[in-house]
Amino acid sequence: MMLVMVFAFLSGSVFAQTKTISGKVTSSQDGLGIPGVTIQIKGTTIGAITDIDGNYSINVSPSHKTLVFSYVSMKTTEVAIGTQTKIDVVLDPDVVQIDEVVVTALGISREKKSLGYATQEVEGDALNTVKRDNLVNALSGRAAGVQVRGTNNMGGSANIVIRGVKSLTQNNQALFVVDGVPVNNDNTNNAGQISGRSGFDYGNAASDINPDDIESMNILKGAAATALYGSRAANGVIIITTKKGKKQMGGKRAYGVTISSSINTGFLDKSTFPKYQKSYGAGYGTYYYSDTTHPTLGYHPGFEFYYDVDGDGQLDYTVPTYEDASYGEKFDASLMLYQWDAYDPASPNYMKKTPWVAAENGPEYFFQNPMTLNNSVEVAGGSEKSTFRLAYTNFDQKGLMPNSSLKRNNFLFNGSYDVSKDITVTASANYTKTNGLGRNSTGYSDNIVSSFRQWMQVNVDYKMQEELYNKTHRNITWNPNSPFDLAPAYWDNPFWVRNENYETDMRNRIIGFVMVDWRITDHFSLMGRASVDTYDELQEERKAVGSGSGEFGVQRPDVTSGYSRFQKNFSEANYDLMLNYKNQFTEDLSLTAFVGTNIRRTMVDQVYASTNGGLIVPDLYSLSNSSSPLLNPEELYSIIGVNGYFASASLGFMNTFFLDATFRRDISSTLPVDERAYNYPSISGSWIFSNMFESDWLQLGKLRAGYAQVGNGAPWASLKDNYTQNTTFGTTALFSLPSTKNNEKLVPERTHSLEAGLELITFNKRLGADLSVYKTNTVNQILPVTVSTVTGRSAMYVNAGEIQNKGVELQLFGAPVATKDFRWDVILNWSKNVNEVVSLEGDIKNLQIASLQGGVTINARVGEPYGTIQGTDYIYTNGQKTVGANGYYLRSSTSDKILGNINPDWNAGLSNKFSYKNWAASFLVDWQQGGSVFSLDLYYGMATGLYEETVYTNDLGNPVRNLISEGGGLILEGVFEDGTPNTKRVEGADYRVFGYSRNPNAAFVYDASYVKLREVVLSYSLPSSLVSKVNWIQGATFSVVGSNLWIMYKKLPHADPEASQSSGNVQGWQSGVMPSTRNVGFSINLQF
Amino acid sequence: MKKISIILIIMVGFLISCTKNFEDFNTDKKHATVVPAQFLFANAQKALADMYSSTSVNINNWKLFAQYWTETTYTDESNYDVLNRNIGNTLFRIFYRDILVDLKEAKRITEEEVVDGQEATIAKNNRLLIIDLVEVYTYQQLVDIFGDVPYTEALDITNISPAYDDASTIYKDLLTRAKTAADALSTGAGSFGGDDLMMGGDVAMWKKFANTLIVRMAITIAAKEPALAKGYIEGAYAAGFAYGEACSFQYLTGANSNPLYQDLIQSGRHDFIPANTIVDMMNTLEDPRRAAYFDINGDTYRGGIYGESNPFAQYSHINDRIQAQDYASVMLDYTELAFYLAEAAERGFSVGGSAATWYENGIRSSMEYWGVAAADIDTYMARADVAYATAAGNWKQKIGTQAWLAFYVRGLEGWTSYRRLDFPVLNLPPAPDESAEGAVPRRHTYPVNEQTLNGENYSAAASKIGGDKLSTKIFWDE
Repeated sequence: MMLVMVFAFLSGSVFAQTKTISGKVTSSQDGLGIPGVTIQIKGTTIGAITDIDGNYSINVSPSHKTLVFSYVSMKTTEVAIGTQTKIDVVLDPDVVQIDEVVVTALGISREKKSLGYATQEVEGDALNTVKRDNLVNALSGRAAGVQVRGTNNMGGSANIVIRGVKSLTQNNQALFVVDGVPVNNDNTNNAGQISGRSGFDYGNAASDINPDDIESMNILKGAAATALYGSRAANGVIIITTKKGKKQMGGKRAYGVTISSSINTGFLDKSTFPKYQKSYGAGYGTYYYSDTTHPTLGYHPGFEFYYDVDGDGQLDYTVPTYEDASYGEKFDASLMLYQWDAYDPASPNYMKKTPWVAAENGPEYFFQNPMTLNNSVEVAGGSEKSTFRLAYTNFDQKGLMPNSSLKRNNFLFNGSYDVSKDITVTASANYTKTNGLGRNSTGYSDNIVSSFRQWMQVNVDYKMQEELYNKTHRNITWNPNSPFDLAPAYWDNPFWVRNENYETDMRNRIIGFVMVDWRITDHFSLMGRASVDTYDELQEERKAVGSGSGEFGVQRPDVTSGYSRFQKNFSEANYDLMLNYKNQFTEDLSLTAFVGTNIRRTMVDQVYASTNGGLIVPDLYSLSNSSSPLLNPEELYSIIGVNGYFASASLGFMNTFFLDATFRRDISSTLPVDERAYNYPSISGSWIFSNMFESDWLQLGKLRAGYAQVGNGAPWASLKDNYTQNTTFGTTALFSLPSTKNNEKLVPERTHSLEAGLELITFNKRLGADLSVYKTNTVNQILPVTVSTVTGRSAMYVNAGEIQNKGVELQLFGAPVATKDFRWDVILNWSKNVNEVVSLEGDIKNLQIASLQGGVTINARVGEPYGTIQGTDYIYTNGQKTVGANGYYLRSSTSDKILGNINPDWNAGLSNKFSYKNWAASFLVDWQQGGSVFSLDLYYGMATGLYEETVYTNDLGNPVRNLISEGGGLILEGVFEDGTPNTKRVEGADYRVFGYSRNPNAAFVYDASYVKLREVVLSYSLPSSLVSKVNWIQGATFSVVGSNLWIMYKKLPHADPEASQSSGNVQGWQSGVMPSTRNVGFSINLQF
Repeated sequence: MKKISIILIIMVGFLISCTKNFEDFNTDKKHATVVPAQFLFANAQKALADMYSSTSVNINNWKLFAQYWTETTYTDESNYDVLNRNIGNTLFRIFYRDILVDLKEAKRITEEEVVDGQEATIAKNNRLLIIDLVEVYTYQQLVDIFGDVPYTEALDITNISPAYDDASTIYKDLLTRAKTAADALSTGAGSFGGDDLMMGGDVAMWKKFANTLIVRMAITIAAKEPALAKGYIEGAYAAGFAYGEACSFQYLTGANSNPLYQDLIQSGRHDFIPANTIVDMMNTLEDPRRAAYFDINGDTYRGGIYGESNPFAQYSHINDRIQAQDYASVMLDYTELAFYLAEAAERGFSVGGSAATWYENGIRSSMEYWGVAAADIDTYMARADVAYATAAGNWKQKIGTQAWLAFYVRGLEGWTSYRRLDFPVLNLPPAPDESAEGAVPRRHTYPVNEQTLNGENYSAAASKIGGDKLSTKIFWDE
């Protein structure tokens, strides 16, 4: 009520006759008109925008004194109105921007210099020059404090965390807001996929945002910036502004057409794929054949000597084809024997002995070069009263794996219309259809790449696998049980898998809004907006009859065929009403304020069903084609409602002191009735101290500080208990108490955030710096604390625990060289976040986030940063690894040793842009220092003897895989328990020595640091002098682009340290991750 | 100005009126909030049978520990590595969270049921007693695997640090509870009917189950508590299972098939083969059950070398009958009872027959269960190395060997029988995990989770039993 009074008092509006001012805005550089310049009457909400030729007109009343002209990369200029009716303005370029206008929370445009918190802009060009399947990946290295981790999965999810992990178990992903509409960024990957078991990575939903539509992006990092979003503000907000049409004056051309087209292709980055040993083939060693000699070939205990393959009455040597390992018999081209390709009549080697050699075509042969085509066309324009933009983009990608593709069609229309002098209606509709085919499977089980990295025979020729599949369309695998049982032991022919067991998915999505702006008086305006984000998604998975057994479908039982479908409907509606007030009371005092309401309803309706026990009719993929009655489908139907109201006031004094206060109150349906309303206040201020003195060297000096509280609501339906229903047994229903105990007394998580910053612009605006420090404490965490299962439950929801993030962010930007023709721009982002789990519930010191294959866990542990990787460690004696009497490493008896942490020490991004006349070149280097990753790939792959590290010449000068009795073996580096050096030689011929079996988890935890040359762009634009001569074209740009061209530095062998299963809180663990590709492409952009 | 005020009033009104559906929003409409007790009871029975039957290396390695089976390529579990897969965590989770808590909940709901009439009251009481019996059965397994475990403070979410109870004390309480049920079960009324997946609601059979279970528990502690055991066994044996009777869990097909089928056939994997420990012994005895236990490889039964890597094709395989989808898992049977009574007789308890008689009954009923022809049984019984009078060794060796052979597939019983009687002598795998200290494990180590989640009680229990090691003996283990 106070606020109402204040408004009432302040609103002394005057109605008088108006006049129209018009004019043209031109650039001092080339004298051409600048389209899109914002003209605003100082101290009011009244404004206009220049048309494509730079012309504008605006109505003013006698009380209006000053016009403000502002435009990105130009100096903002103020002009006194006086008696003029025609005002032409020439804008000077601003090398480093001081008067930048940015979009802040709830879509409010603000002068950046008045803000008391950190934001960082990223231009659309930086995001859409290189065409990617996921917009989020384009942000890596672009902004300080924004941590992005891609997966390398085609169309896969990308993890985006701003200023560190704040919630122990809930969502930590940044919120995306496009033109004021929150865009859902869920990841529909199931728990099994996220925890690395098996499944497909269906990506995160923000990847539907079309980079080609983005004008600019502003990243609100801290709570002070995001507090107006209340219960969804905790993780930072990425505000996206899309391209718009421009108003036209005086009956000029009403629209422009832009066509752009690009093609990209990729090449396997071999540093991210295994380097195999080529000396030993299939098997696990020397135990298959126990007789002493073969009548003709001698003694080869690594082969089986059990089958009479050719029926001549004599046993034959055969390869143990069912073993998915390469720890077997040493290659020897003079040894001829039956191999996997000798048993199927379709094979050219049917019933033929072939030499025992490493394959000519290893798994690299399997991959194909990915290809991406991106075509878009847009028509944008307007009239004196309206603007519009209509755009269509077609994205078409072929993946690294055979038979994979991702297609996206994106239609966007937005437009505005001035219904009257005071009322403007804006509407936008964005339709996106995404079709995926043959995404790569992920995780440990049933994943071709986990076979390549963990379970494989280096004697298998993948070209032969392909030929046999193409010829027969049968599952002729390298991994049959035996010469007389050709069913797969573990692995299918990978070409069979790609072509028969493919998934398909589809998402139809509409994001749109209708908005009315009503300028009620000079000082008051009202905004009403209704927006919706809705999609339906269908994911279908197939396993063809003839496949080997593997986990599939609901409850993931092992089956040899099946069909599953996951269907999800999502919708979120937001209704916003906002009353704005703006006034310039005196030359020195200004106030901007608003009050508003937000009503949000989020609905998810999904069902997951699969066939059970296999398919009856091959190649018929329907639920009714199930061998056994269906297992209970998994259903979810949830609605979350939040009603919020908010208010904000910003005071400016002498253009030097700025003070902001915001307040939001949310009422959430997920909280207990009595305690469902919560408040989120914030206060921030800034002081432009450079205004206090005249200085030649300091163009801007600003200090800022802020405090805020934001929150995270309770998860849906986490208050009351339900029973879990298991598959009905005969006619008896089976119910069970759920594993997690709910809690009827939950309150929201709270993040308290303090931040301060310093901005400097110096050297004649050639160098700028922006330094932020912050500290956030997230308390009252809603977490299902893992409890001893003796309680009858695995976990219970409590409000407990605290995470602290402290960090420093530094941006340096400048133009070391800026002459008429040549210009060099640099942006350096550096950020360090120190995360600490301060407390959990009661005496609990450890919260397990995920338990993963290999016996490692990801945890929140008190006193440690979130995301400790825990498992077994070495035993150390005087700092040395200790071996037992048997010569093998001793291991800790428990798996709770901290082996690493998923958080990097710091991140940095360096982007450079050079322009010379019509040429421009840029590159981006992205650096992550520190962080750890556990490699299940090496944990198993070193045991199965795939990697080149498992074959070498030992200290005695002999092959390490020779028996000790033949001078082989090795002495592990370390000491005995008494501290004396290890002298016990162990068998290098025993598969246990290098891998999981005899080594602690610690042996497979690696430093995840990397330095990547993320992006290189070279482009040429037709000179404007040339363009202006021809009537039919307005501009043309040609670019050569490259991405992920070079991993300049990394410590994790054979893989990309960034690769992971999925987005979410489970990171720092790799199994069967896709290799990365070096991508190059060409693009062309034409404007008509 | 009026306009502004109206707008503000609309805003406030909008919000206040809009929360009336909030509780409905937050209600899960796809899951039950109220369920009848028998469905929780049935769920616990199935969870119990699933774990008991399974041979998944993540859940149940007793068939390996008993050396009935061994692994082919990946031999970690045969070599007693129980840490790599955190099997202790899984066991506690299944015992407490998937079985016992549902039994407790079933009991709670049953107790709250309002019933009319005498018969219904008796039936309700029967249901409570049967739930209790399954609980007793489950706790015995827990103790036999781990030793001291949480008991009095278990299954209470408001106590997240439950103390461990003394194993011997638990055993005595379990005996009391079983006795109570055995006495109080009334055949005058029904119980769960068809929703009882083990006995089809047959109260008379549950009574026999209770008495057989009493004998089993009592004989287990007989070496340490002879007087107590004598009393219980003499009072119960006659009311136990009759020849040929058993409690078993009859699996169906598809999703409700036997976990063995899922592990051995449905998985498409070839991880397990019979171990030479049992195959060699049966070869020596020319045991006619071999044809039902294994398949023949070439012209002979060949067991994989225990704990070594064994190429699947080169050895005998597990018999198809055992791998059938609907193979019924025996939970407790007459065969068992007979061998226990043979032992009881040797210990001087009065059990209505000599050790030799019960020994023969045990072998005969086992053979009949596996479908051996009567003539072959007679031939077998007549062998000097089988007949009780002439078989090698003391009574522990005689009974231990034949009981172990008869308990085939039922790994936990086989392993426990070995631990109690120390016969037959099992092989040592080639590369036993360091934690096994070079011997066949005498117990299973506690879950790693307990160290972090219930540390104080874990440490107290570990030190009390003599260290949380595989080599620590359970209190009844001599």
